[in-house]
Amino acid sequence: MSGSGLIGAPLTRREDDRILRGETRYLDDITPSGALHAAFVRSPHAHAAITAVRVPADAAGVVAVLTAADLPAVAARYPVMEPRDSEVRAGEAHPVLAEGEVRYAGQPVAIVLAPSRALAEDGVELVDVEYEVREPVLAVRDSDLVMMGWSARRGDVAAAFAAAAHVVSGSYALPRLIAAPMEARGAIAEHDAAADVLTVWCSAQDTHRPLAQLAHILARPEHSVRVIVPDVGGAFGSKGVVAPEVAAVAAAALALGVPVKWTEDRLENLVGAYQGRGIEGDLELALDPEGRMLGLRARLWADLGGYLLTTTTVPPHTAGTLITGCYDIPAAEVQVRGVRTHRVPTGPYRGAGRPDAAYMIESLVDAAARATGIDRVTLRRRNLIRRFPYRTATGLEYDSGDFERCLDLALGLTGAPAGPRADTAGPAAGAVRGRGVAVFIERAGGAWETAEIALTPGGRFRVSSSSSPHGQGHDITFAQIAADRLRVPVDAVALRFGDSALTPAGVGTFGSRSVAQGGSAVALAADELVARARERVASLTGCDPAAVGHGAEGFSAGERTLSWAALAETVAEAAGAGGDPEPLEATARFQSANVFSSGAYVANVSIDGATGELSVERLAAVDDAGTVINPLLVHGQVLGGAVQALGECLTEEAIYDDAGQLRTGSFLDYSLLTAAEIPPIITGEVQTPSPLNPLGAKGAGEAGAVGTLAAVANAVTDALGGRVVAPPFTAEKLWRALGEGPAGSPPGPPVETTALPHTPSAATARRVRVLVRRGAPALALGLALGALAARGRR
Amino acid sequence: MKISVTINGTVYEDEVEARTLLSDFIRHQAGLTGTHVGCEHGVCGACTVQLDGEPIRSCLMLAVQAHGRSLRTVEGLAGSDGALSPLQRAFTEQHALQCGFCTAGFLMAAEALLRARGGAVSEAEVREALAGNLCRCTGYEGIVAAVLSVAEAPLDAG
Amino acid sequence: MKPAPFRYAAPDSLTAALELVADEDARPLAGGQSLVPLLNFRLARPGLLVDLNPVTELVGIEVREGTLCLGAMTRQAALLRSDVVAAGWPLLRDAVRHVGHAAIRNRGTVGGSVAHADPAAELPVALTALDARFRIRSVHGERVLSSDQLFCGALTTALQTGELLVEIEVPPVPAGARMAFAEHSRTHGDFASAGVAVVHAPGERAAVALLGAGPVPVRVPAAERALLGGAPAAEVAGLAAAGVEHDHRRAVIRTLIVRALERIQ
Repeated sequence: MSGSGLIGAPLTRREDDRILRGETRYLDDITPSGALHAAFVRSPHAHAAITAVRVPADAAGVVAVLTAADLPAVAARYPVMEPRDSEVRAGEAHPVLAEGEVRYAGQPVAIVLAPSRALAEDGVELVDVEYEVREPVLAVRDSDLVMMGWSARRGDVAAAFAAAAHVVSGSYALPRLIAAPMEARGAIAEHDAAADVLTVWCSAQDTHRPLAQLAHILARPEHSVRVIVPDVGGAFGSKGVVAPEVAAVAAAALALGVPVKWTEDRLENLVGAYQGRGIEGDLELALDPEGRMLGLRARLWADLGGYLLTTTTVPPHTAGTLITGCYDIPAAEVQVRGVRTHRVPTGPYRGAGRPDAAYMIESLVDAAARATGIDRVTLRRRNLIRRFPYRTATGLEYDSGDFERCLDLALGLTGAPAGPRADTAGPAAGAVRGRGVAVFIERAGGAWETAEIALTPGGRFRVSSSSSPHGQGHDITFAQIAADRLRVPVDAVALRFGDSALTPAGVGTFGSRSVAQGGSAVALAADELVARARERVASLTGCDPAAVGHGAEGFSAGERTLSWAALAETVAEAAGAGGDPEPLEATARFQSANVFSSGAYVANVSIDGATGELSVERLAAVDDAGTVINPLLVHGQVLGGAVQALGECLTEEAIYDDAGQLRTGSFLDYSLLTAAEIPPIITGEVQTPSPLNPLGAKGAGEAGAVGTLAAVANAVTDALGGRVVAPPFTAEKLWRALGEGPAGSPPGPPVETTALPHTPSAATARRVRVLVRRGAPALALGLALGALAARGRR
Repeated sequence: MKISVTINGTVYEDEVEARTLLSDFIRHQAGLTGTHVGCEHGVCGACTVQLDGEPIRSCLMLAVQAHGRSLRTVEGLAGSDGALSPLQRAFTEQHALQCGFCTAGFLMAAEALLRARGGAVSEAEVREALAGNLCRCTGYEGIVAAVLSVAEAPLDAG
Repeated sequence: MKPAPFRYAAPDSLTAALELVADEDARPLAGGQSLVPLLNFRLARPGLLVDLNPVTELVGIEVREGTLCLGAMTRQAALLRSDVVAAGWPLLRDAVRHVGHAAIRNRGTVGGSVAHADPAAELPVALTALDARFRIRSVHGERVLSSDQLFCGALTTALQTGELLVEIEVPPVPAGARMAFAEHSRTHGDFASAGVAVVHAPGERAAVALLGAGPVPVRVPAAERALLGGAPAAEVAGLAAAGVEHDHRRAVIRTLIVRALERIQ
């Protein structure tokens, strides 16, 4: 397949050069002349009716304050995806600006436009909104409003449980997480009234989904909306749905006839951007005397927040479909209830249901190992799926994999097993160690993408891809794929992405699908171009196309050799002679079913017995992403995903108080890991090519985030003697769990109280950060306290 | 009020409000958009620039406070011939960047560290010095490796 | 996250600064590493910001008659780099190392950290352990406060409108005194949830100060007496942590004391 050795080559990225020089163009680096800047009036309440919005007649510096009633261009609420076999209440779709009620603190109520962002923020303070506050629903199991329901059943589950030698159950919960890309969201909208084209520059994962969402909300034909995605500073799932603020910006640009710009700030991003995870589940596993899995029951509750955004329904569905993991379980019954709460909506965040499923099933398998006395690795080996394709009880078809090879490799990378033991020697006296093993599978790829390729003068190539990057490195990866097929140097291939007017249609960049779908489209387009070139050479030389050779030198027909550059010249000459230039171009659309990446991760941890502090000492990460195009970039994806998951294990959690106010509204509170907290991560790889695409590729974008959580969680449970603690594994939680002793044993002596204490000293100690974290409400609430806070500040 | 700030050797003069943040002045008035704004409360480090040679958060300084001072930003790192510095090249070689939004801040912090230490830094020192900069993409490994790869005498490289 | 409008003044002398901060609506700006975030969040809204950065007479580290005198506008980075501090008061160097990150310490000031009085800040605790005294000036005159007089509560000090902290005086410690600072935080450079500062000159003097035990730095005389009396580390730690209300924080502080004492034995 590869004459040039480009597939599998760890080439460095070409886009780095301009990033390193500071010559990139992110959203906020673009400001059309005459643009107005937007800021938003946001709900300070988690749940309230809006009874009045009063805008002062004379607001210095403010050009306009618009509410839902002032945006006639908004024709509909958000379009909502309905995953296969699910029931979705599309009537719960998110409105652009609040329509008479608010369902989460931070929900946009009005857009304020001014010549600068600072003036727009000044204007926000002048808008007086009257609320009738209502009780918020915050606990998922308290909500009786199911916005998305899905269930699956296969086999005789009741019989499986009746016949079981062992039935093991577990309850698991993952907190809400904030994607927190380093560049927050934002958009610029400009309406060309003459052509009636609305151009939206949007910090997004791709052009297609923003375009479709905006066209739906604004009831405009898709050809009258152009979406340009400039450089994007990370997304991790959080930029796949345009923010309601972006739709408001577009509608405001249409209403006012001037360009409108919104650069989301960090406070807005933490308070108002859709969050990830927020799911809990009760699982039961039936096993025979030898530990063979007979049946699984799973009930999942997902916190969807106050409204449905376009993809809010997707992660819980994905979690439900993947809940049987890597195991051959003949009978299963799975139910997912996505309920409404009075928090910001949830949606995809790195893994988007995959880490959730892996965490729950892998925790349950460890519980089964403890209950049956069967070694956890043995128990896994006994139940791994070994025949492919494999149809799961939940209706997925796994294309290929070699789970046991991943497991063996991961075990080999972590050194000698270290079971839980009290280490009484040395400075880490009282440290408790644990080791966690997890195997996982993730849905990747699927659906379609498009690529266009054209031969350009000098024997160079322009590839336009519907799949677009926000840090992953599409440019070099796709250039490698095209150059490999064309048998040309990689530098002969230039990529173009991210402008709906210039790049072809597709689905988008998410769900570990760019190489498998977008890359395959590039490969097919390149193959098609080679075929056309072969025909051209045949017609130029009078030779049979089948006899035309293709190699590193170009094409050979008999004695004659034609390079790509020479072919390009024939095109140019024909054009110069006034003839039909017949450019050498090709387009390919590639579509396939989902492919399934998999892997095995092993984590070694220790917990400080005196403080409960968790150290992840070593993480072995083995991924099977199918054929790897560029191992340097895959390694980067795995590490990045793993470290995000380590944050999920150690610090990350969107915390809300009883009133539904976000308590983690700053980076001081929503704490991300730094370079100083990263343990050694040893990676390994298995390549089981997918039979479903011409590259054999799967996906690696989410792998690190899927395997790490499950492995570390099992290591922590192992260290705690079987006691399950929900992530994040904070020092305080683990200290309490240590005090309670192993699961099933009576509480031990070190813990004086199990109630969550909130002493006055602790409360005051956190005051300034409480102020900061209250977000939008703090603007109202915080004034008195803010004055106090400012007193001592120098 | 009118201020005059030297950035990468060029003098920029403009009117600013008292409340104008230095980060906004650099980006929107001097037009040097290579410096990015990630949190505006001093935690993420994306806006790190060098003030008289030392790294600072440009979101935590008012533009008026930089009047008469000398700044260096990411645009000032390449040589006068346009060649990337060894540190910049190392970032590419070690795949130390993905989305690139945090990169300028890391470069400005790392360059100052290497300069202050005459190039002799240990891995632990690099990690500590870079702990004031957040990256959400890379997991930091490539960044640490890049800085160590240009250190003169890594004390405990590996 | 843009600040609300304010007026700005940059006096170049202490006299001029004192006149400006006498305005009820004025707030002094030191390093800005705490105040500017609050401005950006619009949680602080001064009418007039008085920038102390040009007041060079407030900058300096010097020893006068054995006492370490720190100008309020001395950068935290300067404290960290000071040989004088490292030689005589290494506790301050160890504590300031935990303050934020290099880029924060390059702007943040010693006096700003004290006057801000964040209960999670390191320097107030270290200064409390060292019996520091705080020189405060206004147009009406000067007063000198001890740590327990200065720190009134979370983010609250005894400073009145018109008053500026101008200098911190740290008395000499007995020759041979050992000192250590230890803290617990989630990530590197994050605010500490608990911390301890310990000073011990066997037979002469002992100080134990806690971070996270209350809204202000806390000294624990019982633990200090035990330390001076030669009690084992575990006993000193138990006494030091006994008054900490929150059980997990009590356990952490106990552990930090033991670790700090191990370092100075």
